[in-house]
Amino acid sequence: MTDNDQILGLINLRKSLILSAFIIAFSLVRPVLAEESINMEHKPDAPSFTRSTATYNVPDVAVIRQDGKKLSFIKELDDGRPVVMSFVFVSCSAICPMLTHVMSKLQTKLDQEKQQAHLISISIDPESDTPAKLTEYAKKFGAEPGWDFYTGTRAVSLSLQKAFNTYRGDKMNHTAVILMRSKPGQPWLRVEGFLSADAVFQEYSALSR
Amino acid sequence: MISPFTYFPGAGRGFQRLVSNCWLLCLFLLSLASVGHAEPSAANNAEVEMGRKIYMEGMRPSGESLKGMRQSSVQVEGATAACETCHRRSGMGSLEGNIVVMPITGRFLFATAENRPLALVDPREAKNVTRAHAPYNDESLGKAIREGINVSGAKMSPLMPQYALTDVEIKAVSSYLKQLSSDLSPGVGESSLRFATIVTPGVDPQKSKVMEDMMRRAFEQRNASQQTYSGRMRSPLDLLPRTLRNWELTVWVLEGAPETWAAQLAEKYRSEPVFAVISGVSTTTWAPVHNFCQQEKLPCMFPSVALPPVETGYYPLYFSRGVTLEAEVLAKHLRSEDKSVPKRLVQFYRDDEVGRGAAKALTDALKDFDIKIENRALDDKDLAHLKNTLKDISSKDAVMLWLQSADLTAVSKAAPKQVPAVAYVSGFLAAENYSFISKAWKPNVRVVYPYELGAKREKNQQMMKGWLKTWQLPLVDEAFQSEVFFNVLFLTDLSSQMLDNLFRDHLIERAEDMLSFGSNVSAYPFLGLSRGQRFASKGAYIARFGKDGKLGADSEWLVP
Repeated sequence: MTDNDQILGLINLRKSLILSAFIIAFSLVRPVLAEESINMEHKPDAPSFTRSTATYNVPDVAVIRQDGKKLSFIKELDDGRPVVMSFVFVSCSAICPMLTHVMSKLQTKLDQEKQQAHLISISIDPESDTPAKLTEYAKKFGAEPGWDFYTGTRAVSLSLQKAFNTYRGDKMNHTAVILMRSKPGQPWLRVEGFLSADAVFQEYSALSR
Repeated sequence: MISPFTYFPGAGRGFQRLVSNCWLLCLFLLSLASVGHAEPSAANNAEVEMGRKIYMEGMRPSGESLKGMRQSSVQVEGATAACETCHRRSGMGSLEGNIVVMPITGRFLFATAENRPLALVDPREAKNVTRAHAPYNDESLGKAIREGINVSGAKMSPLMPQYALTDVEIKAVSSYLKQLSSDLSPGVGESSLRFATIVTPGVDPQKSKVMEDMMRRAFEQRNASQQTYSGRMRSPLDLLPRTLRNWELTVWVLEGAPETWAAQLAEKYRSEPVFAVISGVSTTTWAPVHNFCQQEKLPCMFPSVALPPVETGYYPLYFSRGVTLEAEVLAKHLRSEDKSVPKRLVQFYRDDEVGRGAAKALTDALKDFDIKIENRALDDKDLAHLKNTLKDISSKDAVMLWLQSADLTAVSKAAPKQVPAVAYVSGFLAAENYSFISKAWKPNVRVVYPYELGAKREKNQQMMKGWLKTWQLPLVDEAFQSEVFFNVLFLTDLSSQMLDNLFRDHLIERAEDMLSFGSNVSAYPFLGLSRGQRFASKGAYIARFGKDGKLGADSEWLVP
């Protein structure tokens, strides 16, 4: 072994000590961190959603519906019908398809029960989700009349997300939230997490009773 | 079997001898080694292809589309049921809200305690790394896929669908996962990670030099900050996992006609493979570079180019659609004008790819709109005699100047006293050179401006300006340099999230998901991507000069 080899070896040993230190640090912190996010290891008995009631100050902003019409969001919201609302974006692959499927099934159920509600999906990626893209998205999920998709400027989308406390700093931080209200002036029921369409329908029915 | 030291840069023979009897070695093996994989055979290839179809396309070997059932009885089918939807092309998983989708490549699934790799599952939480589990085998993988029960016997996320796959199909998926993101991408060396940047002919040497200087300086800084093994720990952050590979930069200067660039790029790439192309600059076409990147599956991240190809790929990412975007924004603006719009719009442009592309884009965007468009392509001779070309412009016309700053100066010299009703200028091409504008023209000039304006812009650019000052680098072109600055900063973020999982597809996925995180240091109001999106900024302002001589917004941010 040459001197150089020895020096190199010592330097590398030092590197290794530091690396090992963080590996040890990790093995120590890991168990604490395990609870922080919904991981693949999902607890079977834990409820997969939370519910709460809230009132929100909704800003009077102009939104654009999937048919390209520019409309007052407040008017869209307060047309007298009960409202079921979600925040989604077209290129989202995990949460939104799930939420939108649930909305779709809910619409079928509401139709069967001859109940009139306004289903609303608001884009949180508005610069990309043009009315044309939203129309296509609505079609993909079999949306019938009574279910509208809205986009607008980034500022408008942000103001709505903030108003309904769904803004999490970035679209990739968003969480699964469904908001329901039986009529204008009533508080909102907020369910967070993953519900089946049946569960959403039950929550909705309880609300309108 | 790949050496367990693959993931440890600079591990020489001397080092191995020294630690061979040391307990440290165990820890090393625990965290740093990678899984070996068998030589492919024809039968294996067929199996991998079968697995690929299931994973990527949601297509079963029978030709049927893949069907999965999520808890809460939501059925997914075909492409939306494909594993790739959540676990992504690289297999390295994804993150959405509080939903963590784990890496499922063979390196992770089948890893034993001796060769477990490490990934950051949530970049927002730098300590949240992949956790140990018993190695999967085909049987336990089958149970996970079919029943949603993982190898530890726990129920998996309600988002993970359950699939009724046959044993043959499970084995095919398993084979696909074993080879997926198993070898580090080209450009990743034992102790180095190599990047290129590209300069096409005709670029102002001052600009290409400042780009290279900025990148080299940033790379030096970044490399110096990784040298934590000097023995000193400066902050607890030094304990976080990271890649210790040194970043290296090579500059590919292209020469001659664009038709010859592909061969030049191939030769440069062959002699010096790179992991990704970062930044780059062109005042003319970029298409040959774009095609090369796509063909070599080489991420080409955010070059400063005026005319990216309209057809997008997977690997080239752009700040915006350049002059095409400007044309569409202008068209949207004209269509929404309440006041009467001029009857004639005369476009002046250089008779080159960028000029022709811009003029065509505006013509296309104004199809069916009541305006007469006239095109005037200019060569050097025309520019020298611009007076003649501008002669017939009257106060009833609109003009669009698709001209770069040098050519705009020619306009200034030839500008007729007769001022057009409105003169639009391309913000991209003008590069903040508005000195051509005479006093008489100024009130009628509108800039199609793709960047942020005013105080917000000032604030966003402060960091770069401070950095340039610190390192005594000149400010030549603010918007351009902020693109370069953004690139090196974003690359640092991406690198700290990827750790040593240096796979190109993973780089693109991280870029798609994480672009809009963190503070904005670019000249654009907002940068964001998502799956399949390849242009980060999506609009522009129509801007005009205020009494203070500064540009201010004359429209809201317009997104076509």
